[in-house]
Amino acid sequence: MKSQSEEKKYMPELPEKEVEELRKNITATSQRVVAENIEKMKKTDPHRPEGMKYFDEIANFSMREKEIREAKQKGKKVIGYTCLFAPIELILAADAIPVRVNSGWYDASKLGDRIVPVEVCPVVRSTIGAKMIALSPYLELSDALISVLTCDGMTKLGEILSDYKPVWAMSIPRVKDSAQSTRLWIEEIKAVKGQIEALTGNKIKSKQLKSAIERTQKATKAFRRLQELRKGPPVIMGRDAMLVNQTYMWDDIDRWTEKTEALCDELEKRASKKDWACPPDTPRVLVTGTPMIWPDNWKVPTLVEEANPQGVLVADELCSGERLLYDPVGVDEWSMSDMLNAIAERYLMASTCPCFTSKDGNEDRINWLLNKIKEWNIQGVIYYVVRGCMLYAMEYTRVKKVLDRMSIPVYYLDTEYTREDVGQMKTRVEAFLEMLSARIDI
Amino acid sequence: MITAGLDLGTQSVKAVVLKDGEVVGRGKAFSGFDPAKAAEQALADALKEANLSMGDVEHVTATGSGMDMASNANSTVSMMGADAKAGVHIFPNTRTIIDVGAEEARAVKCDDNGIMMDFVVNERCAAGAGAFIEAMARALEVKLEDMGPLSLKAERASSINASCVIFGESDVVSLIHKQESKPEIARAIFEAMADRVSSMVHRLGVNPDVVLVGGVAKDVGFVTALKKKLGVDVLIPDTPDYSGALGAALVAVKRVKKV
Repeated sequence: MKSQSEEKKYMPELPEKEVEELRKNITATSQRVVAENIEKMKKTDPHRPEGMKYFDEIANFSMREKEIREAKQKGKKVIGYTCLFAPIELILAADAIPVRVNSGWYDASKLGDRIVPVEVCPVVRSTIGAKMIALSPYLELSDALISVLTCDGMTKLGEILSDYKPVWAMSIPRVKDSAQSTRLWIEEIKAVKGQIEALTGNKIKSKQLKSAIERTQKATKAFRRLQELRKGPPVIMGRDAMLVNQTYMWDDIDRWTEKTEALCDELEKRASKKDWACPPDTPRVLVTGTPMIWPDNWKVPTLVEEANPQGVLVADELCSGERLLYDPVGVDEWSMSDMLNAIAERYLMASTCPCFTSKDGNEDRINWLLNKIKEWNIQGVIYYVVRGCMLYAMEYTRVKKVLDRMSIPVYYLDTEYTREDVGQMKTRVEAFLEMLSARIDI
Repeated sequence: MITAGLDLGTQSVKAVVLKDGEVVGRGKAFSGFDPAKAAEQALADALKEANLSMGDVEHVTATGSGMDMASNANSTVSMMGADAKAGVHIFPNTRTIIDVGAEEARAVKCDDNGIMMDFVVNERCAAGAGAFIEAMARALEVKLEDMGPLSLKAERASSINASCVIFGESDVVSLIHKQESKPEIARAIFEAMADRVSSMVHRLGVNPDVVLVGGVAKDVGFVTALKKKLGVDVLIPDTPDYSGALGAALVAVKRVKKV
């Protein structure tokens, strides 16, 4: 008889044969989708930057999987995370590899339905499904997971995944602008630092932490350069920029920074030749809402940029997008306690996740959106929500009110982890873009 | 100038032919498995009524969920864009157009020029659309066209949940088992639908004049329930089912002028 600790809390034991077959089928679909998405991106921008080749390769999972597997054989540890509040500077400082493990596979969400009801957010159901059949290389390679208790779905996801791996839950305060919240969060950061040190056997010293912070600061700098370039006429399609952004979640950080800088060099040359990725009067769209994760959940950006009339994504407010990278860790003095405080602040204060509220509600998100709209000259906003994503769905009402006052068109696009509703979504996206074009026409 | 509009809906294709801004012909065909063929048929019927031939038409614009399948169209326009154009053309003071078709309900807000400013579409279930009435009519063993007049006979309404066609149907079955009267159940069906549609319109803002188009605008039961829920008068054109096609034909006029 199994002892209680060996019993799984949530997950069923699936027959090995079934697991094998499902993994084979969904992996084949995934490879096809990756290739299709990249083909479509190439087609949209016939002069697609050469620098994208590198990111296409990383997007294909297998190359990076192989690298991480080899690093593990040499004794490196891999630490996965489900929300972007996981302090990756601490992971890097302990010489471990950070990877984000949320699943973007549509078919895996159907497997998740065996464990939790369909009302649950599909990002969560799909991640559960991916674990059931060992689909995600990054989740499989993780030695431990950091689960930040943001929304309800993510809170229970960590608990479910603890059937397989050590999961370190981090309690995030929902009211971020108070002294007691800051204290709690700093304690959580220190606790997770202890967990990382215990797992890796590497004590995090000031020198290593400083170097790790500098590495993420460089990545942020490269990313901000890319975002600056997107303020002008479209020099890169939104999907390409999004792919660059997403690969950061699992790529080697220093190489990623180097390749992003190289891409920016190329884009600057392109801009000087006025060789735009699409006509400069194409309606400029910002997308906000539920995270969109490669490779399957690429339908919204694809619909926007392949639509008739066409749109171009020039900015986003997504935790799978700009929010990952836009804000640097700001350190005054390089002492251990200062650095830990700076890390805590960067993850808590800079985030515009709707899990937060305060006396003005999630005012930071509103201000961030308004700033983006102004600086990036946004003509329309697509507010994207998957069913079961309660917090984004509820905050829409407030965002809509603010944007209506500013006469910025916003469209609420609700969907699921499925390919079947693309036809219906296309109708809506095209009507929205037609509306933006008509306004520009006036 | 002669233009035509095609509305390739989920159940039927509608065609409208315009001569100098006036409707001179209409045609309708079931979408079936070959919407492109249905579009040809509908347009041929409309041209026949107008005593014109295909060669006379300068520009054809298609709309509707099947618009990309119309091989005889020169351009397309979204259903919401077509709704706005047609609404303002018929009733110049229109600011809100509600379109309830077989599978979809939507509402469009527009400015003085019939340019769409905002829109909402019902969630994925067809519970707020015509297919819901059809399913419920089957459950009640009543002809579709009798549902509306039947509902007006009721002094009160039963209560059903219209968040889903399937659940709605099982609600109706339990009402039948409770031996509630057919008129009361019919009225409950329209009120539940009107509830869904009016909450959708409220998300956009109810700006008069409010116009109702789409096939379901012909159902007196739904219209009565919607007026009650919205608390404002609802204007309905003579041929609300041809509104999408009319909007497309008007867009075609604009496209000819642009060229």
